[in-house]
Amino acid sequence: MSAPDATGSAKSQASAGGIGIANLPNQLHKIVTKKGTNFSLMVVGESGTGKTTFINTLLTTELIEPLDDASRRKKQLDKTVDINIHKAELEEKMFSVKLNVVDTPGFGDYVDNNDCWLPVVDFIENQYEQYLRQEQQPVRKGIVDMRVHACLYFIRPNGHTLKPLDVRAMKAIGARVNLIPIIAKADTLSPAALRQFKKRVMDVIDAQSIRIYQPPVDSEDENTMQRNKDIISAMPFAIIGSDREVKTADGRCVKGRLYPWGVAEVENDQHCDFKKLRSLLIRTHMLDLISTTEEVHYDKYRTTQMKTRKFGEPKLKKNDNKKFREEEEALRARFTEKVKLEENRFRQWEQRLIAERDRLNKDLEQEHNLVKQLESEIEAIANSGSPNGKFFRK
Amino acid sequence: MRDGSGEESNVAPSVHSYSSRPGSHRYKNAKKGLPFNLMLVGEPGLGRTTFLNTLCERQVAAPAELPSPEQAHIAEPMRFKHYAVDMEEDGMKIMLNIIDTPGFGNGTDNETCFNQIQEYIEAQYDEVLAEENRIKRNTKFKDTRVHAVLYFISPTGHSLREIDIELMKRLGARANVIPVIGRSDSLTPRELVLFKQRIMNDVAHYGIPVYNFPNPEDDDEDEETAEENAELRTMMPFATVGCEEVFNEDGRPVRVRTYPWGVVQVDNDEHSDFDRLRYVLLNSHIGDLRERTQNDLYELYRTEKLSTNAAAAAAVAAEAAQLRAVAA
Repeated sequence: MSAPDATGSAKSQASAGGIGIANLPNQLHKIVTKKGTNFSLMVVGESGTGKTTFINTLLTTELIEPLDDASRRKKQLDKTVDINIHKAELEEKMFSVKLNVVDTPGFGDYVDNNDCWLPVVDFIENQYEQYLRQEQQPVRKGIVDMRVHACLYFIRPNGHTLKPLDVRAMKAIGARVNLIPIIAKADTLSPAALRQFKKRVMDVIDAQSIRIYQPPVDSEDENTMQRNKDIISAMPFAIIGSDREVKTADGRCVKGRLYPWGVAEVENDQHCDFKKLRSLLIRTHMLDLISTTEEVHYDKYRTTQMKTRKFGEPKLKKNDNKKFREEEEALRARFTEKVKLEENRFRQWEQRLIAERDRLNKDLEQEHNLVKQLESEIEAIANSGSPNGKFFRK
Repeated sequence: MRDGSGEESNVAPSVHSYSSRPGSHRYKNAKKGLPFNLMLVGEPGLGRTTFLNTLCERQVAAPAELPSPEQAHIAEPMRFKHYAVDMEEDGMKIMLNIIDTPGFGNGTDNETCFNQIQEYIEAQYDEVLAEENRIKRNTKFKDTRVHAVLYFISPTGHSLREIDIELMKRLGARANVIPVIGRSDSLTPRELVLFKQRIMNDVAHYGIPVYNFPNPEDDDEDEETAEENAELRTMMPFATVGCEEVFNEDGRPVRVRTYPWGVVQVDNDEHSDFDRLRYVLLNSHIGDLRERTQNDLYELYRTEKLSTNAAAAAAVAAEAAQLRAVAA
């Protein structure tokens, strides 16, 4: 090894034979492949927008089963939003992904849908909270990470504009997680109507400052850059979902929906944006979704929490729930009642004791007087006694 | 085009000519036309306005004016929009009054919409009630009672939602409610059949009073009518598709919706129930819908209103009598 001279020699050493730094990506690849990864996806939208079908189409497997009639009827007038978590482990070419799909049945389904996005927002923040607490534990092995990496918001294709409910919900959700808006059941809009609707939705999103996920455009090669640009320009994605195969007029067997007037194909870019969305979620941008969740959204949560809380302190729970407040009031009233009753009881007991004491004191006084009397009698006898009295002197 | 010449090849020839229905002959050659008041109710984007235009076969209602994107978070309140269209069906003139309800179901909380619609329907009954009690009747009195309410159900493919159940229950006691499925071209034939079944199961389960094509009472031997009504009952709710363009095929106008994967024909019975629904509303059942409104539903309202008035009046009178007895 020649002695290092001025500046460039270290460089020349590496380029000559190389010390093996270039092999680092391969090592990383092996580590990641062995570890696998964890991906959480949330689907939000009114019932009947095709959320279940979309997930099953995306994963080419029936992860979420359709509701049977009895459960559906129970949920019809239920007036609550549930959070259901479906877990799956996907494996492809030796790489495994632990997938969590979070469903939100009941969202936007009732006459009064005020605040129906609160359970969704609470769930997202709770996952950040759980992660934050686990990170602060002395033993950090085996952290359960359920932070949501992407939230798909299914918009009903009414062909006009975003509903006020959608605007408010998306605002609240987009501020906390990667929000990807989707036009559901897009096969009910003609191409012209779809273009208009997409533009309209994006106009509202801009005007209302709703934050949606923007995939990064820059990349080393032209193809990737172009593909990313195509993906961005297609937002919000128009989706058709189908988990069955049908035959088209020209004999092909495709995943699609069979109508009397034709077959709407899921994987046909002229019919819908399914392939683009699948690429975004899995093929090309899954890593970006995970890292933006960790570096941007979680970090924002962490910063705001740490500013107001000390290390290790539990989170103050603000309970805005009307029902809880009413119950709290009722409990408080009952508690006050009970306290009053007990106090009364004590007071009466106290009075009885005082009365008892007075009585006993009186008895004591009587006895005392009696004793005094006897004493004075003794004295009298002692003093009035004969010469023998000396012996009785005290 | 429909110009009363009867040369319409894609509408079934009338099985029952209108003149056989009771009370209709008055209007057969009248100058003014049979008044028919139809209300359209449904959440935005289910094709109400397009249905209106398709029914009248011309652009009656302009497409809805959208709020600016900056205002998109504010729900505009529901309002009533009236359209008057003169139609001719099978030689019979109809004065069609359509009441549209834009803004229904658009808010985050839609409880108030129900009351608004119910109050509107009852207000029309009140007008008739007031008119009946006048000493000098108004010969030009316009009957604005709602003869039928078309309620548009969203094509979720599952079953009825809370807003559907609540609305149809409340209005069913005051008007003929006919449920229809909006944008039904979003469902495949198989899905449509299952969806219709589930909806009708829900209707039975929750006891929702919908118009169920009853057989006319004085026509018990009329088998054809009974069969027709039974068939209509199996088609409920009617699947509607709105027309966006009109093609010219061999000189015949064909109303369609065009997709990259095919063309939906609005008047094709295999693609949608639109034609059948139109025939029911403007031809075969227009008489029954009017009669049921004017006789059964109006009388029911009248009885309820007068008895509550009577009950209230009686209560007041009783109190007054009591006070007088005490004072005496």
